[in-house]
Amino acid sequence: MSKSMLVISRQAPWAGPGAREALDIVLAGGAYDLPLGMLFLDDGVFQLTTAQQPGDIQQKNLSANLQALPMFGIDELFVAASSLERRGIAADTLALPAQCLNDSELAALVDRYDQVITL
Amino acid sequence: MATLHMLSHSPFGDGRLESCLRLLGSRDAVLLCGDAVYALQQAGAPWASLQKSGAQVFALAEDASARAITAHASATLVDYPAFVQLCLDYDKVNSWL
Amino acid sequence: MKFAIAVFSPAHAPSSRRALMFAQAALAAGHEIVRLFFYQDGVHSASANVVPPQDEFDLPKAWRELVNQHQLDAVVCIAAALRRGVLNAEEAQRHERPAANLPASWELSGLGQLHEAAQVADRLISFGGP
Repeated sequence: MSKSMLVISRQAPWAGPGAREALDIVLAGGAYDLPLGMLFLDDGVFQLTTAQQPGDIQQKNLSANLQALPMFGIDELFVAASSLERRGIAADTLALPAQCLNDSELAALVDRYDQVITL
Repeated sequence: MATLHMLSHSPFGDGRLESCLRLLGSRDAVLLCGDAVYALQQAGAPWASLQKSGAQVFALAEDASARAITAHASATLVDYPAFVQLCLDYDKVNSWL
Repeated sequence: MKFAIAVFSPAHAPSSRRALMFAQAALAAGHEIVRLFFYQDGVHSASANVVPPQDEFDLPKAWRELVNQHQLDAVVCIAAALRRGVLNAEEAQRHERPAANLPASWELSGLGQLHEAAQVADRLISFGGP
């Protein structure tokens, strides 16, 4: 049985390649049919807001790659409620179908996976 | 499962320690490396948060001594061989990169 | 026990040195390192072109020596490397760039290698940040 991996993405989308490179880890694992989950935490939740215009700063649209997650078989998507709240983002306005978790649920989430990387 | 969370950023002016403590499991531990050993400053707020969390605290000895930080008795300083063993004592290692 | 070690920071970051020291300690304790995987700014830790000041520790050289001495499987993520200007001779030629700076000890490959190592190893340890 394959080991499962949780990738915790904390970077805002346009702060450099960090957010994209975190996502690439997940998509690469999905391409190999590995059991992966992705949690958006802290500034990582900014990746999930809608109507972003990255072309204005000559960046590629990360949203398109995020939308690819289910196509790669990654449907275990989570977002930290406390991170959303702190940033004034309503949970029902997100661009991805991510499960909103409170802090104790986050601890249980980390526990469920065989490996975790937080980047 | 028990996770060892590894941090290397200073807790003053970086949110990783705070976020780590938010999602810490009851059997998890924290390993402070690099500038994260500043969290060992006993009179500082991060140390108070760490104590309140109930997590077992480990720190890389070389980083504490390089910065002349005296750790509280409840924190365990480790060298590299002990660091390696620690990674095996816990089910997984989560690095806050 | 088997370790997979991922490095996310450049040679001038203390975390890269920490990764090296960890790798050395793991090997000294009789453990196996199934793969070293260099990702994000970690690709710079593999650069042959880093010239540290004379009175400072030459970490890229230490990484090369570790890899060569123990015949470690050392992989640099090709996408992260290209973006950051770390190229082997083949890629430099392919992309018509003036210089190659990745020594032969390192293999340029994809994230699949990180996942494969993570599946095989007992522990995946990542080093990055300061």
